[in-house]
Parts: sequence; structure tokens; C-alpha cells
Amino acid sequence: MTFRENADGVGQVSLQQAGRGRPRSRRPGGAGGGRGVPGIEMGDSVATAAMPRFPRLWAALKFVAPLLFLVLLWEVVVKAFGVEPRIFPSVEAVAGAGLETMQDGTLVRHIGASLWRVAVGTSLAIAVSVPLGVAMGLSPAVSIFLTPLFRFFSVLAGIAWIPIATLWFGYGFGAITFVIFNAVFFVVAYNTLLGVSRIPMALRQAAASLGAGGWAMLTQVILPGALPNIVTGVRTGLGFAWRGLIAAEMIATNVGLGYMLFLARDFYRTEVIVFGMIVIGILWLLIDRLLLAPLERATIERWGMVDRA
Amino acid sequence: MKVLLLKAWSLYVRWTARYPAVRSIVPFIPLVALWAAIAEAGVFPRAFLPGPVEVAQSFGTLVYKGILPEYLEDSVVRLVVGAAAGVALGIPLGVLVGLNARAREMLWPVLLFFQAIGDIAWLPILLIWFGFSLTTMTFVLVYTVLFPVVLNTALGVRSVPEDLRRAARTLGASPARVVWEVILPGSLPNIITGLRNGLGFGWRALIATEIIVGTSGIGFLMFDARRAGSVVEILLGMIVLGLLWYIVDGWVLAPIERATGQRWGLVTRE
Repeated sequence: MTFRENADGVGQVSLQQAGRGRPRSRRPGGAGGGRGVPGIEMGDSVATAAMPRFPRLWAALKFVAPLLFLVLLWEVVVKAFGVEPRIFPSVEAVAGAGLETMQDGTLVRHIGASLWRVAVGTSLAIAVSVPLGVAMGLSPAVSIFLTPLFRFFSVLAGIAWIPIATLWFGYGFGAITFVIFNAVFFVVAYNTLLGVSRIPMALRQAAASLGAGGWAMLTQVILPGALPNIVTGVRTGLGFAWRGLIAAEMIATNVGLGYMLFLARDFYRTEVIVFGMIVIGILWLLIDRLLLAPLERATIERWGMVDRA
Repeated sequence: MKVLLLKAWSLYVRWTARYPAVRSIVPFIPLVALWAAIAEAGVFPRAFLPGPVEVAQSFGTLVYKGILPEYLEDSVVRLVVGAAAGVALGIPLGVLVGLNARAREMLWPVLLFFQAIGDIAWLPILLIWFGFSLTTMTFVLVYTVLFPVVLNTALGVRSVPEDLRRAARTLGASPARVVWEVILPGSLPNIITGLRNGLGFGWRALIATEIIVGTSGIGFLMFDARRAGSVVEILLGMIVLGLLWYIVDGWVLAPIERATGQRWGLVTRE
């Protein structure tokens, strides 16, 4: 929840800055201020706003530029100080490793294995935990009673289950999917429980007195009301699951991104490790920014009013 | 029957109102009972799912041998050191990113990207750099705690209303004093939230590093037990971890968060 604002980090940077008025931009007159002053704000933001034709593209460029600068810095430092490739690879070496793993198909295989596990574990967890969370949240007594239990288990969720998961399921697909399932399950169930129990009783009673039956109540009051919480839960849970995935793959499998990194360590192939780290970072950014954050924002805008009631 | 249940429930509600601790303990009783019943019934082989009594016994022996307190101390010390370093680095960086638009434009994408890489993905290269050592573990922990703290501090700094800063400036406060007396208190609730998130991630990262680096600590205890095939000790490790975090989060961090929210939180409400 606290990360909500960074959620718009990519798309809306320029907009927000214009609206917010950074230190030097004086706030025009008392009552009418704030919003409808495009004329005045224009002069201020002309420097940054020379791009109204492709605002998204510009924002993306602005986002990528510092990263490109970082790559440049890395190249210069490695070259200037002659860093040993066993300590840290050069940019070309990493690009070469990337190309090599792409060509011989290992990269696709590892990414495929990792994503498949995440997809299976997550969808199973959501399918089980949302109905369970709703069922538990409906009665205030039950939800008060069960909240500590779910807090306890969502604390344990994920990585702490790796040892016992490998023992129960053996090394491989089963254990890792279980860890992911686990990480998502408890967090989502707990958040659903919270979301449902926070729907004001008045709203439910109002719907009931207007003649809503059980099904209508569920689909039109309970689920929409709890949706923002559910989506936030999924986002948090997936964050834990992703880390759990990498950890579990290092420990307990022979395919997947984590394994790719850990195998490269055995041969001191830092270029493969660094390439793998970049892939992991980009993948997570894509999942989080392009899938989860927009979803979260959309549900909050659409249904979030319940929180404020 | 129903009357009895209702009576019991009302008693429970009254007790939890008087002693809030009851509420966080009682729900575990039926759970443990269920666990004991399943283990007793022999649905799963004993080696796969031992009962609570065995776990309690192994708790006794491990404490008696001094292994558990030592490992626990190792883990907690690592967590505290890592968190302290992460906060010490994260707050200044967060204030910088929050106050300076140029720094934010430069650093924000970098921060997001490095946060996305995730602590555990650093392990292989850290193992090459530092070997299986304490440095590796500390690095991972600092890394984990750092990002939530930086991002949330920056958010908090930006949520301090411009007017308050200007007011303090007009009254003659130096920029340093503005940071110290306006910005930091104003963003404190966010900082604490960041710390809480960071510790949540750090806690998990610690377990993973202890499993992989494996010299001591609760994570190591669990994985060592796994190698020996002793489910009892794995379960014990999990319970200790859960309890410890439950206590730290529920009795230390959450109250601090609530207190700062009440004391300084008004600033964010505008």
C-alpha cells in the first residue's frame, strides 16, 4: 500500500510535478489555485514539457536514461581500472553471455521454467485463498478469531517453508511451486479477510434491505468491496513469491533462473551471473509495473471508495 | 449447546477486551490441537509430520544443549546490524531523493531497478566476492532493508506540505533545521512503515542466506535438520521464526508505527 505512489513512477512523473508545484513555482492566488491554472504553470514547465506529443515515450526515455548512464559508468570503470573478469565482468562479456544463452536456448528454458512455476503456484493460491478469505471474513467473530493465525502464517510464508517443502515433495517442481503457493496463499487470504471484514456493516445491511440475496450480496457488495485489498495482497504476495522462487531455485532444482545463477557461480562465470541478475530485475519490473501496479490502481480507482466510507 | 457456545464467546470477548494478549494466543490452541490430532491419527508417516509434543521436546533438548539460543542470537544480531546499517544509509538517501527533483529523476529508475533485482539474486556474485562469510549475509540484509526505507522516506518527505517548510523558513530556520525539525518528523510515519516493510523482507532474506551460506542461525538449523531428515527440528525452526517475528512486529514495530502516526501523522493528512 505504501508503494502505491511509486506505482506511477513511470507514467505520470511530469504530470505530478506540474500539479504539485515544486519549491520555486509560486502558488497563484488563494481560492482558485491548485488546478485550473494551465497558463501560469505552462511558463514554469516549458523546459520539461517540450514533449506533449509523446508524453509516454518521453517518460520512458527519462526512465531509461539514468540506467543507460549507469551502464556507461560500469563500462568506463571496468576498463579504466582493469577489473578482473572473475570479480566483475565488462559490458561486452555480459552481452556476449546473454547472446550465447539466448542462442543455445538455455535462457528461454530457464525463464520458462521459472515463470511456469510462478504462474501455477500463484493461480492455485489465488483460486483457493480468495473464497476462503471471503468465507472467513463474512462473520466478524470468525475473522477476529482467525486474524492472529493468518498473521502468524503470512509471516512464515515463503522462504521459511523451503526446507520442509523439499522434504515433503522432493527437489524440483513440486517443492518450488509449493513455496510460491504458500507465499501467495497466506498473504492473499489474510488481505481478503481484512478487506471483507472492513466493508461497513451498513453497506451490507443496506443491500440486504433492498432485497439483495446471497449471490447478489457476494458479487455486488462483498467482492467489489474487498477487491482493492485482494489485489494489494496479490501484489505483496507475488513480491515475496518471486524472492522465494529465486532462493528455492538456488537450493532445490536443476532448471530456472536461480539455478542458472548458482550454476554460473560454480564456474566463476560472473558475466552469466550479472546477466541473470539483469534478467531477473527486468522480469520483475515488467510483472510489477505492467501487470500488478496498473491492476491495483484500476481497482482502487474503480472500487476503492469503500475504504473511505 | 448454542447457549453454551454463546456464553463461551462472550467470555472470550470480555477477556480479550481486558487482556489484549489473549486474542493473539487463544486462536493457536485449536490449531495445535488439530495438528496433534492429525499427527496422532497417523494420516501421514510420523517422519513426515511429527506431533507438537515431539517438537516441544526437541525445543527442550536444543535449548539445553545451548544450540538454539546461540543460533537465535546469531540471527537476531545479524538482522539488527543489517537493519541499522540499512536505515542509516536509507534515510539520508531518501531525504535527498525526496527533496531534490534532479536527484529524484536520476536515482528513481536506478532504485526501482535495483529493488527489482532482489536481494537473493545477489547471493551468487556475493559468494564469489566475499565467500561464505558474514560479510555476504550482512550485504544481503542491508540491501534488502535499504530500498523500502529509501522509497518510503522519499514518499514521506514529499508528503510534507510545502507550506510547513516555507513557514519554518520564514520564521528563520536554517535549511538544516528545516530538515531536522520539519521534514524528518513529518516523514517519520512513512520511514517507520518503510522499516517495517524492509524488515519483513529482510527477515525472509536472512533465512534464505542462512540456508545457502550456512554457518549458523535459525535458517541453517532448519536446513541442517533437513539434510539429516529431521522434520521435528525444521518445524521447531519455523515456529521459532514465526514467534519471533510475531513478537517483533506486533509488540515493537506496530506500536512504534501507531505512535508516530498519532504523534506526527497529522502532517500527511494536511
